[in-house]
Amino acid sequence: MRTTALPAAEATRPRTVVVGALLATGAVFMAFAALVAMYVQQRQTARAAGQEWFPEGSVELGPAGMMMMTLVLSMVTVQWAVQAARDEDRPHGFIALGVTLMFGAAVINQFWFVYQDTAFAIDGGRAELLFYAVTGAFIAMLIGGMAMLTVTTIRSLMGPFGRDLAHGVQAAGFYWHMCVLCYFLVWYVVFITK
Amino acid sequence: MTLTEPAIADSEAAPGAGGATAPEPSDEAAAAPSILAQPFVTSDAAAVGRLFVLTSLLLAVGTSVVGVLLSLGRTEAVAPWDLFGGFNAYFRMWTLYRMSFMLLVVMPLLLGVALAVVPTQVGAGNVAFPRAALASFWSWLIGAVIIVVSVLAGGGWGAIDGVTGNESDAMALTLLGTGMVIVALMLGAVTVATTVISSRQTGMSLLDVPPFSWSMLVAAAVWLFTLPVAIANLVVIYADLRGRPAIAFGRAESPDIWLQLDWLVEQPAVYIMAVPVLGIAVEAVGAAVGARSSRPEAITVIVGLFGLLAVGGWSQDYFTAPQDLRDGLVYVAFGLAAVLPLVALAGGAAELVLRGTKTPDRLLDVRMMGAGAALKLLGAAALVGALRVIEPLDLLETTATWAVFHGVVVAGLIAGVVALRNWSHELQISPLSVVVGRGAVALLLGGGGLLVLSDLISGFLADAPDLMALALDGSAALNVVALAGSVLVAAGAAAAAVGAVSALRTPVPAGEAA
Repeated sequence: MRTTALPAAEATRPRTVVVGALLATGAVFMAFAALVAMYVQQRQTARAAGQEWFPEGSVELGPAGMMMMTLVLSMVTVQWAVQAARDEDRPHGFIALGVTLMFGAAVINQFWFVYQDTAFAIDGGRAELLFYAVTGAFIAMLIGGMAMLTVTTIRSLMGPFGRDLAHGVQAAGFYWHMCVLCYFLVWYVVFITK
Repeated sequence: MTLTEPAIADSEAAPGAGGATAPEPSDEAAAAPSILAQPFVTSDAAAVGRLFVLTSLLLAVGTSVVGVLLSLGRTEAVAPWDLFGGFNAYFRMWTLYRMSFMLLVVMPLLLGVALAVVPTQVGAGNVAFPRAALASFWSWLIGAVIIVVSVLAGGGWGAIDGVTGNESDAMALTLLGTGMVIVALMLGAVTVATTVISSRQTGMSLLDVPPFSWSMLVAAAVWLFTLPVAIANLVVIYADLRGRPAIAFGRAESPDIWLQLDWLVEQPAVYIMAVPVLGIAVEAVGAAVGARSSRPEAITVIVGLFGLLAVGGWSQDYFTAPQDLRDGLVYVAFGLAAVLPLVALAGGAAELVLRGTKTPDRLLDVRMMGAGAALKLLGAAALVGALRVIEPLDLLETTATWAVFHGVVVAGLIAGVVALRNWSHELQISPLSVVVGRGAVALLLGGGGLLVLSDLISGFLADAPDLMALALDGSAALNVVALAGSVLVAAGAAAAAVGAVSALRTPVPAGEAA
């Protein structure tokens, strides 16, 4: 009995890139969620033992809140880019992608400020180590998202907008939204509940 | 074009389909990559699948030889520390054996089969992202080389007797290699899952997908749920290891690194390797006796349930007191429930046999024998797993853990042998020789059975937690049995590898590919 004797499918498979990107995005989210879970578990253990997690006043909420606002704005601009790609609206697509990249760069810059402000040493203790592990992983994810957006931007410069490119931008958009969701976890777990 | 021709032909033929003149043969020869270049540039999923299958079978031989040496150490014929040159060296090999069997042998073997078979089963010309599949193979291979070299250079996943010299740096390299291998396997899983979801034949619902493709979709989903958690572990361990002095997670001089990652090779996560085995077994039995299941939707549900019970990122006891997690209701329920889908699937396979042609040659077909052997070992592993979570039996931190592991990995190897026989068309190789196939299946079944049995009984004999089984009173005879099992598994892996190489080297007969 053969289960492979089937005629070939139609050549057009419009949502392949989106489906692949969603699966990969889900995997990245799982990795980040596991990191945050470790952070929360270790903090809970430390507090149960009566230990201080971060020194009082060392982690400020202001810059973190600014980053959250920036990333929420970037969700709008990345969706603007997706819509522009669907509509084959090149000027708006470029502006939206460019603004989104600028927001991403602003968040990385803000993180640099946070690192300078907190002045944690990576070998300073479990709290400091996990602080760098979680925020560093987020920055790496954000850079990955910016790279995806840059690639789609360059592709759009080199050829006409079309369905393939629209799906590429849509896939990058999904990933970007996931990054913002991950930052929301960081914001709440690391900066708000400290 | 036939479905089993290299799928690259699809995409390359398309531009000329409008009636353009056919290229001259000399042009084709000039355009085609050379044999040496093909593995680096091919976008034919079957070729990538073959690369995965062949490399993982060769690694299976090496890994099982390490297993023989480890078993030899258990017999006390030679002091295990002397055998490898020290406590740390023994620990390195002990951990390498387990990680390698999972990440370098069974998972890539089944992924390779899937890359070749799934597109044809769902009616796609090729996998969804052929270049990603090729990238998956090469990054997996580079990661595997990094792991092996770094372990031989004194790295590995922690130590039990302090560290000297550059061993800490070598450990960082091992962690990097492990991360690369896991990311590569996830990339391959995304490729296969996307092919099933997005590239399948128009009108084919997910419930109509053949059992192996469905099992790979489930396996890919479970891999994508579980393996990223290991990546998170690796990130924290690596950051600590390199942020000297290490604080908690990356202490190179202790076994802590291994203890944060060992959940991957213990139940329930160990079952993530076994999900595709179910699909292969059902299809192989059906192919051998020429029958289709009367309740394909039941097979779908059974495979899905088994996949659900294999999700294991949550079962890390490093971060909590072990008894808190492992005496918990969820852990016990997962352990007990894993038996049910396997019993149900065995029933499904039995129904196929009853409905099919029961001539002696069909019942002794390599596929039939192999599917039966894989299901038996998997069932035995799940049964031991169920016993292991029953608290009064005190099997949790004993060699019963490795009985489950051995049952699953050897079942995976047997499934690979069955796939080589069943899907030689899709893999574009000659069918695996019957003699080699039967020999490999028999050796692997015998070896796996002995390993499961000896590990389980050793677990019952243990007075205290002892995962390395080096100091068990009254288990000397069992350790000899384990050695015999390891030798048989190594012989079976070697037979499978030789058979695969031979099938690859033998030209596919004219017309056979169609």
